[in-house]
Amino acid sequence: MSISTPNLFAYRELIAALAWKNIVVRYKQAYLGLLWAVIKPLMLMLIFTLVKSFVGIETGDIPYPILTFAALMPWIFFQESASEGVNSITANTALIKKIYFPREVFPLTAMVTKLVELAIGFLILAGLMVYYQMLPTVQALWVPLIIFYTMLVALTISLFGSALNVYYRDVAQALPVLLSLAMYASPVIYPLSLVKTKLIDEQAAGEWSNTLYTIYNINPLAGIIDSFQKCLLQGLQPDFNSILPGLIATLALLPLSYLYFKKAEKWFADII
Amino acid sequence: MPPVIEVEHLTKEYSLGTVTSIKDTVRHILARLSGRKTWHRESFKALDDVSFSIDKGEVVGIIGHNGAGKSTLLKHLANITTPTSGEISVRGSVAPLIEVGAGVNPELTGRENIYLNGAILGIPKKVTHQKIDEIINFAELEQFIDTPVKRYSSGMKVKLGFSIATSMEADILIVDEVLAVGDLAFQRKCFSRIEKMLHQSNKTVLIVSHNVRQITRLCTRTILLDHGKIIADGASQEVCNTYYEQMNNRVLAGVNKEVQSSHAHIRSSGSLILESIEILTANGLTDEIKSGGFLKIKINFTLDRTLKKPEIIIGTHTTDFVYLTSSTTSTMRDKPDLAKGGHEIEFSIPSFPLVPGIYCVRFIVRDELGVSVYMGETLKTFTVTPSSNELSEEDSKLRLINTDALWAVNGAPYQ
Repeated sequence: MSISTPNLFAYRELIAALAWKNIVVRYKQAYLGLLWAVIKPLMLMLIFTLVKSFVGIETGDIPYPILTFAALMPWIFFQESASEGVNSITANTALIKKIYFPREVFPLTAMVTKLVELAIGFLILAGLMVYYQMLPTVQALWVPLIIFYTMLVALTISLFGSALNVYYRDVAQALPVLLSLAMYASPVIYPLSLVKTKLIDEQAAGEWSNTLYTIYNINPLAGIIDSFQKCLLQGLQPDFNSILPGLIATLALLPLSYLYFKKAEKWFADII
Repeated sequence: MPPVIEVEHLTKEYSLGTVTSIKDTVRHILARLSGRKTWHRESFKALDDVSFSIDKGEVVGIIGHNGAGKSTLLKHLANITTPTSGEISVRGSVAPLIEVGAGVNPELTGRENIYLNGAILGIPKKVTHQKIDEIINFAELEQFIDTPVKRYSSGMKVKLGFSIATSMEADILIVDEVLAVGDLAFQRKCFSRIEKMLHQSNKTVLIVSHNVRQITRLCTRTILLDHGKIIADGASQEVCNTYYEQMNNRVLAGVNKEVQSSHAHIRSSGSLILESIEILTANGLTDEIKSGGFLKIKINFTLDRTLKKPEIIIGTHTTDFVYLTSSTTSTMRDKPDLAKGGHEIEFSIPSFPLVPGIYCVRFIVRDELGVSVYMGETLKTFTVTPSSNELSEEDSKLRLINTDALWAVNGAPYQ
């Protein structure tokens, strides 16, 4: 069975129009409009800050609220791109059954929509940076690349997940549960430096410590969140040791995920 | 030049029943891996070995009864679904007008929906922008265009969908039952718009419709599908006649079963039982008469009670229920009573003026008070064949009634 990769660039207008539709429809009758997009990370930031004052999490010289907000931005972008992406095919049944265009347009659109919300998050982050009197350095130039990498990770999940969800709606049910668990396995509430100190410096798990640290970093979000914080808040360059395991995993799985999607795509209209 | 659309041995099977659960799928895979016999769900052939090709500029109609595979075929041409086996090649861009309004979002305004649907149909934003006034104008929605579509009436939604869909430009246009939208005035507008699109540009068009009249008028060629197979493919008039005949055969089969066919529309109080309907010419029993010729209908029925001064109506209609003639006894004085028992009615039209085609008989009996005792349509079908001085097929398709006429040119009789 041959798999043709369409020129997605030709569909940029469609993706833009569908993403614009998603945003307009979501916030049309809401008085606060797009502000709702940043309320979730802000609330979580406040809750985490509150929790942190009880349990004590070592965060170095960065104030905890901004550190966790900088973690929540890529995390929420990833989480929502993936979960909306997985739902994107079944949510567009009417279009799938009537008109042809490459079906990957839907997961991509879900991601572009979230990109707009991420952009608003940056405004809030800028406000927090002004408040804490932090200046971005030249290392902030890494940020677009980090976000692009996050998009690849989200696509790996949403392409495979959305295609499988056409056959088994269990996927869309299971994913939110898995993702909320994954948040605790990612350095969102706590910084990656804490994990590193425990495992590498203190060898907390004995001879397994280094291996465990690598396994922890197979989760691409570990490297992403850590690099995002480093580049924006600390003026450091990304820690490639923490990025590498996740990057390898992503680059290995993304082609498989896309291949499965393109194979399953042919039957969407019949099965959905 | 190669054909624009080529379909070879296209077969599409659908599995009946529901999609298997994960449990069944896993069991299935395990069974296969361990070499045990796997089981199959029953399948249904929506399309069965369909082959045809269409050249550039052809306007092709696709007809057939419900479930014949028309929409499935269009879905394959529009690349929405994949064949089980066979090959399809389509050269050029395809614009599917399949059930307009698939992409209309209720939360957006009419104007926003035009841009969104333009993008969905692959129209560049610039083009949509140029055409937007024309689209709004055609949809007759100037006043409501900045109101969310969820507040539109259903007719307004359909008009919007049609206007967007027909404003796009593509090499191949696929039209699925979209001509029957809106009120009568709008339907006429849609029809002439489609006709204009057909004649002005050298587009290839495929039309699916149950309205065979529309098909004969718009299309040069027609494909008749039945149970997923192509039964006929050729000039529209001929294929449509085949279709009518096919329908008639079913009707006739029903008539023979004591008139209780699913195609005959019968409402009866039970007091009247129809025994037979026969068509006669001077030469005797027939199913065929000549256009302009003598038509005699003989009806036999039994009554289980006496009807006083009943009104009897006998008429003819087309297979798609356009009523053509209707004759009644209501204006007659001294209507006879019909006693309990068998009766025979003969009804003649000396010169039946209809053009060649297939027509049906309708028969109604009402009692003294005007209450319907028996009402039946499509009780019997008969064919009208061309008379010797008949016009060409092409001309006869543009009318229903064949009349004699006197002409005068500049005051002088013209013959």
